[in-house]
Amino acid sequence: MNNPIQVLTLFLFNIVLVNLPLLYGTAGEIITEKSGSLNLGVEGTMAVGAIFGYLAGCAADSLAAGLLASFLAAGLCGLLFALLTVSLQANQNVTGLTITTFGLGLYFFVGKGMGENWPAMTASASLARGFAPVELPLLSKIPVLGKALFSQNPLVYLGILIAAAMWWYLSFTKTGLRLRAVGENPAAADSVGVNILLYKYVHLVLGSGIMGLGGFYMALYMSGSFEGSNCWINGYGWIAIALVIFAGWSPLLAILGTLVFGFFNTLQIYAGPLAGAFPGTLGWLNAVPAHLLKALPFLITAIVLVVSSIRQKQGAGQPAALGLNYFREER
Amino acid sequence: MKRQPLFRVVKREGGSPARQALAYAAAVALALLAGALLLLAQGVDPVDFYGRMITLGIPGSRYPWRTVENFVKLFVPLLIVSLALSLAFKMRFWNIGGEGQFIMGALCASAAGLKLGESLPRPLTVLVMALCGLAGGGLYGLLAAALKVKWGTNETLFTLMLNYIALYFLQFFAETKGEWNFFLDPESARPRFLKFPEGAQMITLPLGPFQLNLSLIAALALCAAIFIYLKRSKGGYEIAVVGDSPSTARYAGMKVERIIMRTIFLSAALVGLAGAFYVSSAGILSASVTNDVGWTGIVVAWLAKLNTVGIAVTALLITVLQFGCQNASTTYAAIDANFASLIQGIILFAVLAADFFTRFRLAPRSAAVKEVS
Repeated sequence: MNNPIQVLTLFLFNIVLVNLPLLYGTAGEIITEKSGSLNLGVEGTMAVGAIFGYLAGCAADSLAAGLLASFLAAGLCGLLFALLTVSLQANQNVTGLTITTFGLGLYFFVGKGMGENWPAMTASASLARGFAPVELPLLSKIPVLGKALFSQNPLVYLGILIAAAMWWYLSFTKTGLRLRAVGENPAAADSVGVNILLYKYVHLVLGSGIMGLGGFYMALYMSGSFEGSNCWINGYGWIAIALVIFAGWSPLLAILGTLVFGFFNTLQIYAGPLAGAFPGTLGWLNAVPAHLLKALPFLITAIVLVVSSIRQKQGAGQPAALGLNYFREER
Repeated sequence: MKRQPLFRVVKREGGSPARQALAYAAAVALALLAGALLLLAQGVDPVDFYGRMITLGIPGSRYPWRTVENFVKLFVPLLIVSLALSLAFKMRFWNIGGEGQFIMGALCASAAGLKLGESLPRPLTVLVMALCGLAGGGLYGLLAAALKVKWGTNETLFTLMLNYIALYFLQFFAETKGEWNFFLDPESARPRFLKFPEGAQMITLPLGPFQLNLSLIAALALCAAIFIYLKRSKGGYEIAVVGDSPSTARYAGMKVERIIMRTIFLSAALVGLAGAFYVSSAGILSASVTNDVGWTGIVVAWLAKLNTVGIAVTALLITVLQFGCQNASTTYAAIDANFASLIQGIILFAVLAADFFTRFRLAPRSAAVKEVS
């Protein structure tokens, strides 16, 4: 641990490994918000995806089954959100918060209920194998960065792929552009024949499903060890909501934002080792309170919110109709 | 030709309280039924579980009064926070920063209690703590209101961020040992909050074996005051008008910005007051001081349709649910206190769905055409 290069490499590696679930949550929330809905249920949705994905993955002894189950279980949360807010015109903030309450309640209910029958991740060889690092040819040979970025587990690559694909979808495809129109001005989109109901339902389910994949990642990262007191998601869902703002509603910037938030998140753990490895340049890290580093992502996001509202840009990418229900009869 | 749906959604004119009450009762019954099925699936007898929940474990308890006292300690913060948030929500200001404002109130009150508890007489200390709680919570909320009024900063997201900043601020005091940190017990090697001196603990009035917590009386008085404020005062009327339409309010010559700032300060200050009451009743600060009351308060305010009396009743029922579940779950290994969250979620889903049918009705498409012609 005393070799400075080793410490630095491990630090960078962990920034990616520990924080990538945030990217799933953020990407899912971006596509949700682009449809004009503010879903505050990320934390609960991820928890539901995590536990059902993990249990299904263990039962079937397959990574793919876990991914599918987490996507579907979390997608059902999205469907519930869509049903209540889109069809039944319920308030989005309250519905989202309820999804979180319900999701966490369900998480603990299922986990506790399993009791002695709780499956250990070590018993499922293919889950463990599926989460093991895969070294990308050539790229992983780059010193320091190669280990951090290109010898990660497959779910890291999948998350980045999803974010990149979402960027392409929102920027260049016809349906993606229409979706943005739905989020900006549903009445106008409706009047040119866009099926608002369909667009909202599909993307709310899709967004929640992607959040669920992030939950599944967390489950595997925590080696599937269930604790009665702490949920695996551990506040990541809330950070993801902050990240959406920080990234200006852009999936591509969300990748960068994940690394920035991840940097602070991981720094609080690595402050000691880093200060020890580079006493001359980083010795001061020991004096920085860990809680300040924990609060920093939220502090930065709050400042971003204020600055973008001062500049009247409405956060550049913030959908104009975010959080407002669309009632066709009042067009 | 495009096929038209058979029904269209039409807003109902005027709500019928009877229909609403019926819809809510059905929603709660449905949620409890769903909960019963879940309990059965875990091999738990739902009748026994619900029985233990509703009676709060008082029958057969050796210290029944103690249970009631603990119940009150949970009920008072939830009631005050729900009432406080309803003021903001009535104005359509989405203050979801209850958690942060509660923490700030609790923190300021604790500082006052620890510093003054030894020297001042008890009623005065408790009063100063309450004032500090009001100021701490209120100023923290005022920040979001000022930014909203000045630059239109999204208050939902901003207050959400403030929650976490406050939480880590509190954790910083909870976990950092140091000469300067008077919140911690200097005797303990590991960081641990210092117990308040006797003089900083909430006043209780003995009624036989039962110690009546003064904050309960204060909370009920507050409930009445808010009811009168909203129904009878100019300030309450202004809140209603601004909530309905800021442009109407402006047209009527109201200073909308000032009304928003004033109301949000009041809302957040009362949340802070709840924090002050809570720590003073507990006699010690804690890193998990809020008990999620900032979130639950939103749920309660919304379930009660922001109606003051409704909030008091709903807060009581939700506390029974939470406190009761915690109690009942001690008997069963497969269930824990989080079961309350699950039930609470199902109740709210059912109510949100039932709400639709009290606010809207489905009109047959053919009838709709006739209306137009």
